[in-house]
Amino acid sequence: MITVTINGKDIKLEKPVTILEAARTAGIEIPTLCYHESLELYGGCRLCLVEVEKMPKLQTACTLYVTDGMVVRTESEQIADARRGILEFLLINHPLDCPYCDKAGECDLQDLVEKYGPTAGRFAEGKRKHPESFDDPIIVRNMERCVMCTRCVRMCDGVQGDSAIAVTNRGSHSFIEPFSGGRYNCEYCGNCLTVCPVGAIMSRLHRHSYRAWLVETEVNTVCSYCGVGCSMVIQVRNNSINRVVPRFGLGINNGLLCVRGRFGYDYVGNEQRIKSPLVKKGGKLEPVTWNEAFNTVADRLKALRERYGGSALAGIASGRCTNEENYVFQKLMRCGLGTNNIDSSARLGYSGAQRYLENIFGQGVTANPIYGIANSEAILIVGGDPTAINPILGLQIRTASRNGARVITIGYAPGLERFNSIGLKPRIFTEGILLSGILCEILKIKPFTGENQTLESVIKGLSLRPAREIAEICRLAEDDIRKAAEAICNVSSISIVIGQDIIQRSNGNRNLFMLSSIGYMLNARMTLLSERPNEQGTIDMGCLPDMLPGGRPLEIETFRKRYEGLAGTEIPSGPGLTLMEMVEAAEAGQIKAMYIMGENPVFNLPDSNAVKKALGSLEFLVVQDIFLSETAKIADVVLPALAWSEKEGTYTNLERRMQHVRRAVDIQGMEDWRIISEIGKRLEVSMPYNSSEDIMAEMVRVSPLHTGLTYEDVDKGNALWPYKGEPLRAEMPSLSLSDENIIADKGKLYLMVRRPLFHSGTLSRRSYALNNICSEPYLRISRAVAERLSVKDGDVLKVSTVKGSLQVKTKVDISLNDSAVLLTNNFEGMGAFSLLGYKLDPVTKAPGIEGTEVTIEKGKPR
Amino acid sequence: MLSEKAIKQVDEIIARYPAKRSAVMPALYIAQMEFGWLTPEAIEAVSEATGVPKATVKGVATFYAMYKHKPIGRHLIQLCTNVSCMIFGAERLVDIIKNKYGLEAGGTTADGRFSLVIMECIGACGTAPAMLVDTDFHENLTEENIVKILENYK
Repeated sequence: MITVTINGKDIKLEKPVTILEAARTAGIEIPTLCYHESLELYGGCRLCLVEVEKMPKLQTACTLYVTDGMVVRTESEQIADARRGILEFLLINHPLDCPYCDKAGECDLQDLVEKYGPTAGRFAEGKRKHPESFDDPIIVRNMERCVMCTRCVRMCDGVQGDSAIAVTNRGSHSFIEPFSGGRYNCEYCGNCLTVCPVGAIMSRLHRHSYRAWLVETEVNTVCSYCGVGCSMVIQVRNNSINRVVPRFGLGINNGLLCVRGRFGYDYVGNEQRIKSPLVKKGGKLEPVTWNEAFNTVADRLKALRERYGGSALAGIASGRCTNEENYVFQKLMRCGLGTNNIDSSARLGYSGAQRYLENIFGQGVTANPIYGIANSEAILIVGGDPTAINPILGLQIRTASRNGARVITIGYAPGLERFNSIGLKPRIFTEGILLSGILCEILKIKPFTGENQTLESVIKGLSLRPAREIAEICRLAEDDIRKAAEAICNVSSISIVIGQDIIQRSNGNRNLFMLSSIGYMLNARMTLLSERPNEQGTIDMGCLPDMLPGGRPLEIETFRKRYEGLAGTEIPSGPGLTLMEMVEAAEAGQIKAMYIMGENPVFNLPDSNAVKKALGSLEFLVVQDIFLSETAKIADVVLPALAWSEKEGTYTNLERRMQHVRRAVDIQGMEDWRIISEIGKRLEVSMPYNSSEDIMAEMVRVSPLHTGLTYEDVDKGNALWPYKGEPLRAEMPSLSLSDENIIADKGKLYLMVRRPLFHSGTLSRRSYALNNICSEPYLRISRAVAERLSVKDGDVLKVSTVKGSLQVKTKVDISLNDSAVLLTNNFEGMGAFSLLGYKLDPVTKAPGIEGTEVTIEKGKPR
Repeated sequence: MLSEKAIKQVDEIIARYPAKRSAVMPALYIAQMEFGWLTPEAIEAVSEATGVPKATVKGVATFYAMYKHKPIGRHLIQLCTNVSCMIFGAERLVDIIKNKYGLEAGGTTADGRFSLVIMECIGACGTAPAMLVDTDFHENLTEENIVKILENYK
């Protein structure tokens, strides 16, 4: 036990902490500028100087650790003098432009000068000039206001891991700058904005419109972009979003955000929002009243059900809508339209993979806390770059790496290249084979435990090839494969992070089996990357063709009867169609009508031209969305919904944590659940809801997973489902490796989807900020391909596959394998999915998009 | 990009230290020799060769006075004008260089032959005045011999 006396107060401490931390635990405030609890210690600003007995000079409280018997004074004439002097120095070059500085009112320097500062400076030499930099579309740098605390640099280096900015030059000439000196060219997380204590690094988006004291309300909510579910605070002024900020100590992101969360929210205010319901009349979508739209939808669906039966109807739910909305949606489909044809875009990877893993290990096997990743001793990342798909989760991996964890990446993960201990880039489409090789090496080290005998017998039945053979197939060094296996074997806590790239394969289930086996042998925690904020919610709410709310299998009669009893209607007992099957059935004329909520399949599904044709051939198509998406354009009825910031509800993130989404602004319009309820009422489904809370109350009665849950529990952070370990559907996979089909890549190029950091698609492309950061797609090609075609960055290329062709600019990507070319699926008319065919994985029903050969030639400049 | 030879040199330096970043400063000198001065491309090349982020490399490069951040002539004259050299007439030498080659302190001749930098003490007070031309050391300079010395550098 250490006893330290600060300002005459005895403080007892278990372990040595800094004087600053000790003082703060006792409620004693010491002023700081460069100190930040999330950042590495620096001791640069000298404002936290304190007197320590027996030490001749003042000491920095933020860097000096307490020792037993230490006596500290934090306020005295000498200390005040020193602080006044430091502030006088800091103001030598400061422009004192508080009246028009956006930071005014929440500026640490302003507050400190007000408290300690000199009333006038004695330096008459004139101020250093450093013109404000507007070279960047998002971030304004004003180096005249900078106090050189280096918080931004430490954030960028030590937390974000991007190292995009650095202190440049020396002494009184130093300033903070990105490499280019102008544009940032970084990950644009904006975390430097949060930690800047003064007005030196500011956002351009709300320049001169944000004033701390003019914020009317602050609303705690959850981000609408990806499956991590970062907490954020929406600051509202005049009923519109003024700014979105994170808070340290709040949520799983603890003060950090990524580019999409911090800057991408502005799509909600885009002029292109649909303002009124639309009904197709004479081939054109015309505005109508809500009542007319509801009646049209209800009448047409009822007529089609009577004519063709419920199995001819289908619905697509949304990982961007709340749990409540998805719950009501499946209720409408099942009880109102008599169909189990319900699925969502989670099928493209997340839901099928989760189902596969849960069948082996039990419900909730992927529900692992995100912070656990940072505490892992080894992390295996396969099938995607977490720092782009789920950026805040990606940061956990970078943190783990800095803490000494072994990070092993398989495949394309440029965001982790400076952080991995082993980066394996196997030949295209051989990740699964590589995993089998790693499994084979693990089996040499680790014994079977006998815990899951069925799984063990499947593993034993495989004729796994050793690293030597695998190395040849995958074109890797044998030693690297062995080292990777050893690295993950000899640790006690390991995480496996699984991305869509290896799930979206026609044999994706085999990749998942290999990962399951590796996970089982090493007792690893598994995490699935998730591109939407509520993909988990669509699963839990029963927006699946064979699952009822709470992840209860439809085919088990007791579950179905219970559901029917609570709903008061019978529902079909056979499973419905999955996402891609629905589209295929529509093309074949078996599905006649579709109801799509918050999803844009015409753009977001592979072979999107065929999807457009299939949906275009429907007798009736209803699309509920906030924008007139590619899908909405071909709909018969379009229902305008509310955006994430305009409604109440809950999202369930990829760690299966339910979080509260709150209304920040009031907009005239209807939430998705209200729209569905109106239609449901017209189809005689009981939907007596006045608020999302009413839906939640019903849902917790229906879903055994959520029994007794309230919004209060959600707000307290109690809504996290741990691993239960009981598979509800015991389906042990069977597989053999004899029919392994290795795609020959000699001289051929294959198109794959790139999942970028800056965009998500239909929403992000309507964000002013994100479009300014990244305004067009690029075809990423490897250095070898660039040399072969003699093209350079920015050249326009014509990319063709059997499905179509596009003209697109190119960028050389040194992280790429030779035979892969990457294109995003974000920009209108320029999506990779329009060029990709697919073949369904028979188990997960995710579309396998591999194997689309592509030819590239120099195009004409646009 | 650095030449193969330079990359090999950098790799050798990296191998001497436990952390790659320790090689940044020597790598910057190597890049400076290849590129003539630390162009943005030179800094990027060092970043690629050492795995240290390019903004960080730039931060290091701009901290130290002896890296070159703008183009210099084929030969760099570094002449001392501190106390001992000044007493022995270094400032007249500056004038001579100016008159003979049209070269101002901190500047470069129009033909790109010489650049002149006025140095702080280079530790040759006993044999003042002194200068460095590229990496060659010249002492006991006089108004007569300085031009003769410089004429050896074409």
